[in-house]
Amino acid sequence: MPSPTLTAKASYKKLPGLLELTSAHLQWTQDGKKAPSVRISHADASCKSLFCSKEGAAQVRLKLALVSDEAGHNFTFTSAHPTALTDREKFKAELTNIISRNRSGVSTPALTTPTTPSLANTLTNGAPARPILAHVRPTLSRTVSTASEARGSPVNDPTNDFQLRKRVLLSTPDLATLHRELVVGGHISESEFWEGREHLLLAQAAAERQKRGKPGQLVDPRPQTVDGEIKIVITPQLVHDIFDEYPVVAKAYNENVPKKLSEAEFWKRYFQSKLFNAHRASIRSAAAQHVVKDDPIFDKYLEKDDDELEPRRLRDEGVDMFIDLGATYEDHGETGNEKDVTMQAGKQKAVLPLIRKFNEHSGRLLNAVLGDNTNKRRRIETTLEDHYTQIDLEDLHDNQASTGITLNMQDRQRYFEGRSGQTGQDAVNAKAATREMTDSLGGWSHNLSQLKIERKAGDAALNGMTQNVAARLDDKLRNNDIPEGLFRQMRTCQTAANEFLRQFWLAIYPPPADSQILSASTPAQKAQKATKMIGYLEKTPEKVEAIVIAARKEGFDPVRAQTAMKPVLDAVNKAIAFWRARNIKGPGAR
Amino acid sequence: MKFTIDDLPVIFPYDRIYPEQYSYMCDLKRTLDASGHCVLEMPSGTGKTVSLLSLIVSYQQFYPTKRKLVYCSRTVPEIEKALAELKRLMDYRIQCAETEEQKEKERGFYGLGLTSRKNLCIHPEVSKEKKGKVVDARCRDMTNSAACQKGRENPGSVELCDWHENLGKLEPGNLIPPGIWTLSDVLQHGRDSKICPYFLVRRMMPFVDIIIYSFHYLLDPKVAEQVSKELSKDAIVVFDEAHNIDNVCIESLSIDLTRPMLDSAARSVTRLGDKIEEIKKTDASKLQDEYAKLVEGLQDAASDEDAFMANPVLPEDLLKEAVPGNIRKAEHFVAFLKRFVEYLKTRMRVLHVVAETPLSFLQHLKDITYIERRPLRFCAERLQSLVRTLELNRIDEFSSLQKVASFATLVATYEKGFLLILEPFETDNATVPNPIFHFTCLDPAIAIRPVFERFGSVVITSGTISPLDMYPKMLQFTPVVQESYQMTLTRNSFLPLVITRGSDQVAVSSRFEVRNDPAVVRNFGSILIEYSKIVPDGIVAFFPSYLYMESIVAAWNDMGILNEVWKYKLIFVETPDANETSIALENYRRACDNGRGAVLLSVARGKVSEGIDFDHNYGRAVIMFGVPYQYTESRILKARLEYLRDQYRIRESEFLGFDAMRNAAQCVGRVLRGKTDWGLMVFADKRFARADKRAKLPKWINQYITETASNLSTDMALTLSKLFMRTISQNPNENQTGISLWTLEDVEKHKAKQKALVLEEAEKQQRQQQVEPMDEDDYGDGGLDDSMLADIDLDV
Repeated sequence: MPSPTLTAKASYKKLPGLLELTSAHLQWTQDGKKAPSVRISHADASCKSLFCSKEGAAQVRLKLALVSDEAGHNFTFTSAHPTALTDREKFKAELTNIISRNRSGVSTPALTTPTTPSLANTLTNGAPARPILAHVRPTLSRTVSTASEARGSPVNDPTNDFQLRKRVLLSTPDLATLHRELVVGGHISESEFWEGREHLLLAQAAAERQKRGKPGQLVDPRPQTVDGEIKIVITPQLVHDIFDEYPVVAKAYNENVPKKLSEAEFWKRYFQSKLFNAHRASIRSAAAQHVVKDDPIFDKYLEKDDDELEPRRLRDEGVDMFIDLGATYEDHGETGNEKDVTMQAGKQKAVLPLIRKFNEHSGRLLNAVLGDNTNKRRRIETTLEDHYTQIDLEDLHDNQASTGITLNMQDRQRYFEGRSGQTGQDAVNAKAATREMTDSLGGWSHNLSQLKIERKAGDAALNGMTQNVAARLDDKLRNNDIPEGLFRQMRTCQTAANEFLRQFWLAIYPPPADSQILSASTPAQKAQKATKMIGYLEKTPEKVEAIVIAARKEGFDPVRAQTAMKPVLDAVNKAIAFWRARNIKGPGAR
Repeated sequence: MKFTIDDLPVIFPYDRIYPEQYSYMCDLKRTLDASGHCVLEMPSGTGKTVSLLSLIVSYQQFYPTKRKLVYCSRTVPEIEKALAELKRLMDYRIQCAETEEQKEKERGFYGLGLTSRKNLCIHPEVSKEKKGKVVDARCRDMTNSAACQKGRENPGSVELCDWHENLGKLEPGNLIPPGIWTLSDVLQHGRDSKICPYFLVRRMMPFVDIIIYSFHYLLDPKVAEQVSKELSKDAIVVFDEAHNIDNVCIESLSIDLTRPMLDSAARSVTRLGDKIEEIKKTDASKLQDEYAKLVEGLQDAASDEDAFMANPVLPEDLLKEAVPGNIRKAEHFVAFLKRFVEYLKTRMRVLHVVAETPLSFLQHLKDITYIERRPLRFCAERLQSLVRTLELNRIDEFSSLQKVASFATLVATYEKGFLLILEPFETDNATVPNPIFHFTCLDPAIAIRPVFERFGSVVITSGTISPLDMYPKMLQFTPVVQESYQMTLTRNSFLPLVITRGSDQVAVSSRFEVRNDPAVVRNFGSILIEYSKIVPDGIVAFFPSYLYMESIVAAWNDMGILNEVWKYKLIFVETPDANETSIALENYRRACDNGRGAVLLSVARGKVSEGIDFDHNYGRAVIMFGVPYQYTESRILKARLEYLRDQYRIRESEFLGFDAMRNAAQCVGRVLRGKTDWGLMVFADKRFARADKRAKLPKWINQYITETASNLSTDMALTLSKLFMRTISQNPNENQTGISLWTLEDVEKHKAKQKALVLEEAEKQQRQQQVEPMDEDDYGDGGLDDSMLADIDLDV
């Protein structure tokens, strides 16, 4: 069976189940059953239409009308509201692809849906098919998308990319200034500017893709004052949260709506019932008990407060021995006097349900993310290794002694032979060396006693040091007095020159071999770009000259301005020299 | 690494060693050589257990005497950790052994851990029982010698335990291959080979080199009598995590009686009477045999399987005597018990608090019921003998009667150091009587005295047993070594902070008068909120009592404080049920591993504060809300304080302060493991600012509380904490090696230096002795040292 590319919880004909989009079929499986009960092959999906419920509607629906079956299939997405929406959008997009493909009469084998992205791209985006290999697929299941997007570059999806660039610029003002100067100023093109900065876009894209976790707060609907009335506002999100937190309410809802109660009636009575008060995360609710009306429907679902010392729901699964508090309790018979009244746990009965609610709520949030079974499996698999790592003192291990990764080298033998040949020539004759050494050390005590430290040298050193310190102090005192305007001018000149240099060298050097970002530029383009950059760079000395002149005008020592700009000038000159040399040497480079 | 201390080669299972570990081992060896006792305090998380085991195993393997090690710890998790530590050590030793012969010797080393039947049972039905008492009783029904005999002669007549039977088929002393077996290993081995893990460990005890179990197995005479009787006198006894050892001592000799207990005991007495009548008709000879035996005294020790309860008094002085005549006959004994239970019941009817000494209780008892002291002393033993003779099943139903019998024996044995307190009402405000008769031990030295007398070397050690001299005073022994080690650090890896007031400058304190003041509660709450905002992963918060935690959790919830905390972290709370708390704890750890982060609210002296580590991401900050003082209104505590004052000249306030601070230190000490780990320790109470309070903290914590950090408001503390976290998350540039970490060379260097020092010292003394007569003529080498000579040269 082909692995599903998209899955989502969805109900069909009011039965809960799983909607899957595989590479060949759209199928729906009822919970607890193995075989899918609805199965539409992509080829058949020459659907007439695809309908979706409105944004913000209480239920997230997707309706698929088929040519063969006018009634079509109606799926309702049942996961939490935001997830349901995104799920639906994904399905919608993917299905649109398939449908449009079917319509356009391209008889692609169904299997190739996800593997021919460029084709899909052509159809959906209508962008000109560029020879791109990496490509962002518009919709994919969660797991696949993260993997593929890490690989592919978002740079090639124009609309998306524009947004990304905008956000990157907004978040980094420095870059924005540079961008304004160079790109808006028309010196270099947009894509040139971003070339070599793809990592910023990738980071931004990754950051945006991170999903917000479920908020930790307890579901505790509190009445608000709306137009002078005290109300509890029910949103679909709240309903979902309540069902999630208190399955008993979901049960009551299923059993009573719409037969016995209307939906509005249901919620109204729920919020007035004892059940709601039991669910409220407050111990004061106990005091409010008498104001609450009896309710024949909801009182059926009322459970006894879980306020005994032992929890009502006993879990018998074992825990890791390292944190098993119960084992200590059972390690020996009871001894000693009863604990004093402050140290008896659970004396305040009313708090116990609250505490249990906290623990359960936290546990449920964790399970929602990590899955329940992982924890069970881990318990069984808690091995000695685990325990060893828990008791290990890691800093006592000698990390330096650990065997590193061995270097795999081509022609290793030749390399070592070459080296040994070299060292072989001046191989040391150990005996001779020792003799030599002993000879040279002869009479060392005599020599040592002769040793006198020249006073002059010491004085000179001290003098030197003093001067040094004085010079630095002097320098420091005189520093930091560049006029603000001039300084800004210098800075812009510097950053611009740097950017041009970067672009220049980028154009000169071959792209990194492992670069996943396949730059679109051909050698010819690159050469062209390099020429352009050199053009800009050649102007840099003039600019510096202008700065020096400006400095003179401002009454600032021009020499210092020159000195400050010298490194930039040097770098620019180096680039220019390189360019000239290369052009003279090999016109073939063009 | 391998190095020597004096002539003893020590194998340490790491490449490096902390300097404090090295000095700890040296001192430990000194104690063992001298066959004396010692008190050693070593900072938490610096590898105390591994140093201790590594030295003692080296000692055992090197010297031919092969002294057995009895290692006691507080909790089952700690026992399991110590076993795992030992197992790793032995793996390392086998690896390090040079010759095959040595390897063999290391492989032949036995180490086992013991805990209760409840924790070790693998019988499919019995192990399902929830209560340890029931497991014990059902196990006994299937394994006692009478049942076994019957079952073997006539298969099917009595249900026997297959796992126990299989164990009997093995050769004694060779029930399990040599090596180190953790509790889970033993359980697994039991399942694999279908043998009973509990009796396997019990029967292997005489043959093992190291046995690890909890304090009670040595200190509680009821258990020690069964389990630890055969340990030889030269064994090395270690009490690890011994900061609360005095409480364990006291607990093991204290008993509570309640009215439902007495009712149940009375019913048991009636049942015993019926059973005796029945036996008389069917098998009267049994009772006669028993009578004959009792005349000779109680010497015949019961086998492990038969013993169901032992004498609460250490038995030497008792066993040799014959049982008094008036309780020798079974029916007389039953009548005797009946009278005693009735007497206790009438005492319970009193509606005012009574406190009396055992002597006055006995006098009153004698006046009313004519029960003498001597037969009362034999009560527990006599009951055991009777139960055995009658071949009773399901002993757990007699547990109340056992308690009464233990009470009788204890009250008749000890005159001093005990007190009887009758409390008719649970609290001062209660109107419905719920009487409890406390028989309370006031003197921890009584329970531990036999241990000190019997064993040559007793090591008392923990991360937090300051002030050191308190323990020898309370437990009445003289240590040969008494030492507290500093923590050598190249950078401060933990930051203790004392918050005395909230950001609004209102003082925070858990003092009874102000603890429920909304301003204090809110300030405590804002500390939690602010820290949950800035601290990554796990935060543990401790409260001084369950009562306070429960009320403050409710208050915080209603004030919306917890709602604020939920935004940043998950919340877990310690509950009254141990298993439930374990699951919460496990989820807490998952949340910390996952990066979501969590807050754990628990109680100092509670279940979580002992034996659970919050190292690394499991605890980046510990917050102590309030000083964990004991409840001073408790009558039992008052009696104990009075006793300490009169007997040992320990002032009440001194003891209370000491007790509170050792518990606080214990809680905050749990955050560290190793020197690369880091954590914040927040003490939130005005009273922590007082120098006399802080002086009672272990030196290794106290030395890092700076003057500024000892009196902070919440916002100041937050600034410091942020700064600390920013610096600590930098990669340490300086190399720790040589300062807080020693390589083998460093150890050698230290040793050489030490030797040189000793030599110098000796030389100096010698010289002094020589020099003394010609005192003034001492010019030495001219009075010029090297540096002066160098100076002279330079001026030339």
